[in-house]
Amino acid sequence: MRFWQKTLVLMLVLFVVVLDVSVIMIMNKSWRLNMNREQQRAASDHALIANSIYENLNSIKSRGMRINDTILLDVARSYGEYYRERGISLQLSNQDAPVYAEPSEPSARHISVTNELPAPYGYLQLTYRRDIEALYAGQDELNRYFVYINCISIPVLAALMYVLIRKLTKPLQSLADSTKSIAEGNYGQRVQLKNRDEFGELAQHFNRMADAVERQVTDLSAMAEEKQRMVDNLAHELRTPLTSLQGFAQYLNAAHIDEEERITASGYLWSETLRLKNLVFKLLDLSILSHQPVKRSRIPVVELFESVRRMEQANLDAAGIELILDADIPAVWGDRELLESFLVNCLENSIHASTPGLEIKLAAYEQDAAAVLEVTDSGRGMSAAHLERVFEPFYRVDHARSREHGGAGLGLALCRQIAEAHQAQLSLKSEEQKGTTIQLILQLHNNGPLTL
Amino acid sequence: MATILVVEDEKPISDLITMNLKLVGHRFFKAFDGAQMQQILEQEKIDLILLDVMLPVMDGFEWMRRHRHPGVPVIFITAKDSLADRITGFELGADDYIIKPFEILELLARINVVLRRNIKEEEGFTAGDVDIRLAARQIYRSGQLVELTAREFELLEVLIQNQNIALSREKLLELAWGYEFEGDTRTVDVHIRQLRKKLGWEERIRTVYKLGYRLEAER
Repeated sequence: MRFWQKTLVLMLVLFVVVLDVSVIMIMNKSWRLNMNREQQRAASDHALIANSIYENLNSIKSRGMRINDTILLDVARSYGEYYRERGISLQLSNQDAPVYAEPSEPSARHISVTNELPAPYGYLQLTYRRDIEALYAGQDELNRYFVYINCISIPVLAALMYVLIRKLTKPLQSLADSTKSIAEGNYGQRVQLKNRDEFGELAQHFNRMADAVERQVTDLSAMAEEKQRMVDNLAHELRTPLTSLQGFAQYLNAAHIDEEERITASGYLWSETLRLKNLVFKLLDLSILSHQPVKRSRIPVVELFESVRRMEQANLDAAGIELILDADIPAVWGDRELLESFLVNCLENSIHASTPGLEIKLAAYEQDAAAVLEVTDSGRGMSAAHLERVFEPFYRVDHARSREHGGAGLGLALCRQIAEAHQAQLSLKSEEQKGTTIQLILQLHNNGPLTL
Repeated sequence: MATILVVEDEKPISDLITMNLKLVGHRFFKAFDGAQMQQILEQEKIDLILLDVMLPVMDGFEWMRRHRHPGVPVIFITAKDSLADRITGFELGADDYIIKPFEILELLARINVVLRRNIKEEEGFTAGDVDIRLAARQIYRSGQLVELTAREFELLEVLIQNQNIALSREKLLELAWGYEFEGDTRTVDVHIRQLRKKLGWEERIRTVYKLGYRLEAER
């Protein structure tokens, strides 16, 4: 049963019961009052008639006549006939022996009073009867009218109440519609209610809740999408080396080949295995980074730069590139291994983008009360379109070149994770054919030990 | 055998495919991008193109869109395993579609199917004094017609199409007898013995230790 139906039925029943009970009580009271009045009237009429008869009998007596039954009958008849016109019947009896009686309908409802005449005629009883059929008829009429009024007023009342209750519960309906829509997954839906009552308040709270839910859902689905993209990319990345490994292994195993082909095939097994290993290790780094807290310590910048140079010296020499170190600040706070890894990744990207004879610069300086670590090259650079997506895992600006260097396409994704772990900002500026600058901006609280 | 153009930007995969093509006696050309591919198509007579979808600059689908009817059958090779891609490939007029990572034997089998559908003149296979015409199903040894049963011929065909590659007995059952055949691998041994005897190929059909059999042809 709907709320409006419940309300309507309950209200209607209550209203009708209260109204009808009141009306019935009033009618009852009025009936009793009418009856009383009739009683009183009968009593006073009776007294009047009895008195008249008494006077009459006295005057007859004073004329020296004896009061016998004939005279009584005469007197009674004269009164009886006079009163019959008025719907009143009289009866006179002498010590229970009727002297005069009116024929009257026994079934008819009437009111009757019987009393003795005043002394010395105490042996006579006068019975006064009056028909009150009209009173009953009136009451019946009233009852019929009451039922009739009920038949008219209850439907009218019901209709009015229906309209009113529907109007009052309309906000509830619109709330229900909106919530249903939200429950079905339209998280952008909001309740449009301008009421200034409880419904309006409920709608406001509800909208606030929907906002929160929508935010959550959006965040979650964005995260899920990124995860999915990562998995898709990973699957895609794995297919090529796996194809090579599977194919060359089978080739070595089953083909009728000579030494030269054996060397080629096993060389590919070797290099593709390295590529896979590289990919797996980078992935492991990524996953460890997102689960482990960073171990901050004070790292002297010169030490940091020198160890990066040591790691990359072979690559720098092979590419014929000069590395310039420029440390303006003595130290930064952070995780030594992670910052090394950050710089190495950026440096490798720069080496791959540069031609022999160019320079790459590692710099550390203070800017706007933050420590900045910066890698600058004057290499190939990239377009704005690439800049947006370059931190996504497996995104490559130049696919062929990246594969050539055995890159997994995870370097900058790792850099982004390292920046996030340090709550640091990353900034990447690049111009095609001019070069690229990447900055890690370690905020002020990173320049000292973390006090939490 | 046929001349096949392999368009693949990943050098390892390109080499893997061409080394295997060479094994079974196909000639091949390598292209690493659309431009090279175009150049080779203009200069050489190509029977089949193996086209990687993920090419730098212009991908394989795009190339197919621009050359709706290259007059050469095309098999797409891709790492994208989605139905949508496969449908796109076929709609663009590809003859087949193969997904990385693939079994090299499967690639060779698909190449053979496409070639047989499109080949104009049948090339024979000659080894020593044996001359085989697959299309005519005729085998001559020193000019004498050799009688083979249907099953022996199937087996011979499989061996020739996968020459220089060792095939396990199970693989041979699958390729020559079909998937439904619930055979014993000894069936294969019996038929191989028959073939060796009838063709005088005791040396040519090699038993490869722990693997199976390999038809060794001149390379």
